[in-house]
Amino acid sequence: MAQIIFENVTKIYPNNVKVIENLNLHFEDKEFIVLLGPSGCGKSTILRMIAGLESITSGKLFIGQKIVNDVAPKDRDIAMVFQSYALYPHMSVYKNMAFSLMIKKMPKEEIDKKVKNVAKILELTPFLDRKPNALSGGQRQRVALGRAMVRNPSVFLLDEPLSNLDAKLRTSMRKQISLLHKQLQTTFVYVTHDQTEAMTMADRIVVIKQGQIQQFDKPQVLYDKPANIFVAGFVGSPAMNFIEGELVCKDGKFWCVNENLTIDLTKIKCADKLPNLKDKKIIFGIRPEDISLSAADQKDGETFKASVLIAERTGAEVYLHLVVSNCEINSRVGSNADVKFGDKIYVKFDISKAHLFDSATGKAI
Amino acid sequence: MNEKKKDLAFFVGMALLSIICLAPIAIVLINSFKGQFFISSSPFSLPDAKTFAGLSNYLGGVGKIGFWKAFGYSCFITVFSVCAIVLLTSMTAWMITRVKSKLSKGLYYAFVFSMIVPFQMVMFTMSKIANMLNIDNPIGIILIYVGFGSGLSIFLFSGFIKSIPVDIEEAAMIDGCSPIRIFFSVIFPILKPISITVAILNTMWIWNDYLLPNLVIGSNYRTIPIAIQYLQGGYGSRDMGALMAMLILAIIPVIILYLVCQKYIIKGVMSGAVKG
Ligand SMILES: Nc1ncnc2c1ncn2[C@@H]1O[C@H](COP(=O)(O)OP(=O)(O)OP(=O)(O)O)[C@@H](O)[C@H]1O
Ligand SMILES: [Mg+2]
Repeated sequence: MAQIIFENVTKIYPNNVKVIENLNLHFEDKEFIVLLGPSGCGKSTILRMIAGLESITSGKLFIGQKIVNDVAPKDRDIAMVFQSYALYPHMSVYKNMAFSLMIKKMPKEEIDKKVKNVAKILELTPFLDRKPNALSGGQRQRVALGRAMVRNPSVFLLDEPLSNLDAKLRTSMRKQISLLHKQLQTTFVYVTHDQTEAMTMADRIVVIKQGQIQQFDKPQVLYDKPANIFVAGFVGSPAMNFIEGELVCKDGKFWCVNENLTIDLTKIKCADKLPNLKDKKIIFGIRPEDISLSAADQKDGETFKASVLIAERTGAEVYLHLVVSNCEINSRVGSNADVKFGDKIYVKFDISKAHLFDSATGKAI
Repeated sequence: MNEKKKDLAFFVGMALLSIICLAPIAIVLINSFKGQFFISSSPFSLPDAKTFAGLSNYLGGVGKIGFWKAFGYSCFITVFSVCAIVLLTSMTAWMITRVKSKLSKGLYYAFVFSMIVPFQMVMFTMSKIANMLNIDNPIGIILIYVGFGSGLSIFLFSGFIKSIPVDIEEAAMIDGCSPIRIFFSVIFPILKPISITVAILNTMWIWNDYLLPNLVIGSNYRTIPIAIQYLQGGYGSRDMGALMAMLILAIIPVIILYLVCQKYIIKGVMSGAVKG
């Protein structure tokens, strides 16, 4: 049983650097939580507070049922995987993993059994006698994971564990960590600035910007209903397109209007809220995959003329960088699309999947 | 072609330099095997049938100066001073580097500053105080050596510890180590290469030191350099042969230590602990 609760937690570093202010979070037992945010937003700080490596300036932190503000790291029943791996360079892989158990004075045979078992799961058996400097990045990564696993902690903390690996290894380690979570049945808190990692692994994601929680929800909810323009832009790749404009009521319909474009908002999900917002500055957001190619201009306020800046082929899809009357827009279409640089084409916005944000507050409408 | 010429010039230059450096030692070694009257008459020639004195200089010298007793004092003082310096200064350096406070910063600068204070400036007050505190004996002098050795040692250790990622210590903390345990199980083993460097530097200095033991423990407990000094002057003629022989004996332990430890001074012991 290891839920984690932050209650009005504030963290101020020396020299009055306020990084986290009034943080309230509740992670359930056995959840896979991802802390997602840009560099310097305070993700590591939150994780290190859970680990007990960073003191809490004010507020309460619970692990399980207990307040742990003043509990030493070793007594919190946690394990942590560092971004730098932080292996003990003078110890073999075996000793690296066995070290914490040796400190607990566990019997030798039991340690041996546990370490060998974990080594088997992580496919580290052939390397048990090697020192960390004779391992590849991926192997070191697995040793760091193994060192945490042997302890059977009730909370697993991971600080950007995959950021030093190449793309292919990262994908396979992602899978391995997800599987690990299923097997171990413990609470995982995982820090990353990579939204793909967050989306693929998390049960729930905390999106953080400058120490403030932007949204805390399931990945799909973050994607479908971003709470504000920051989350909308951060989650999803390629990122959502934003078009600034004004909400105008004309001919009994609502439109998003700027000097270049006039977008018909009739089909938008939040249409019922629009009457109260007349003449307000808004931001229209649409994801690249909700922009499709169209044969001709249907003059319906959803189809627009565009010229192709770049067409990036990934094999399965084509990423189009378009200019739609002075706005740069990204679109993502099937690989059968026959477009190239300089082409003049028509694109259709799927308005029913578009988002609207209040320009002043950035909040979703 | 040009590269090769450069290499050759470099090689010749270095060879000349090393000859200049090694010549005095070679001369001492050569002369330690000559009869003592031939040393002053033909100091640079190799020993031949007439001048070769076998080991008589060595055997005579060992007896004359009470070599083994001096060797014992030298060993005792050097070994314990060096062990104490390595242990105490590595701990101090760890604390100074990891604890960020005005006190630790002040301590660091105090230690570094102590390196530039010339020994001659403090030697008389220091020996007077040592006398007053009754530490003018082989055990007390270890304390004084720890004091004089700590400046450079802490400077070297601190530099090395700064390059050890704090993550490793934090990982050990989570793994359940107390600070003492972190030091001995994690930090101290990582410090091995720099510890050996510090040990060698201090050994050479303490083993060869003449002035400090002369001032503090004087003639009661003769270390090797002091004992050798008694071959010079003193009563009647000086025995140059024995002197040379004893000088050779005195440097042998340091050379052995250096050769044994050399292979432990490996760069890159840290690599592999953290990301490339
Ligand atoms: N010891 C410290 N003293 C003062 N400020 C600090 C300290 N540690 C971190 N900070 C500041 O706190 C902020 C958050 O740091 P943190 O390490 O939590 O960021 P992060 O989200 O993990 O970023 P990254 O993705 O780059 O690792 C940063 O602006 C950083 O400069
Ligand atoms: Mg970080």
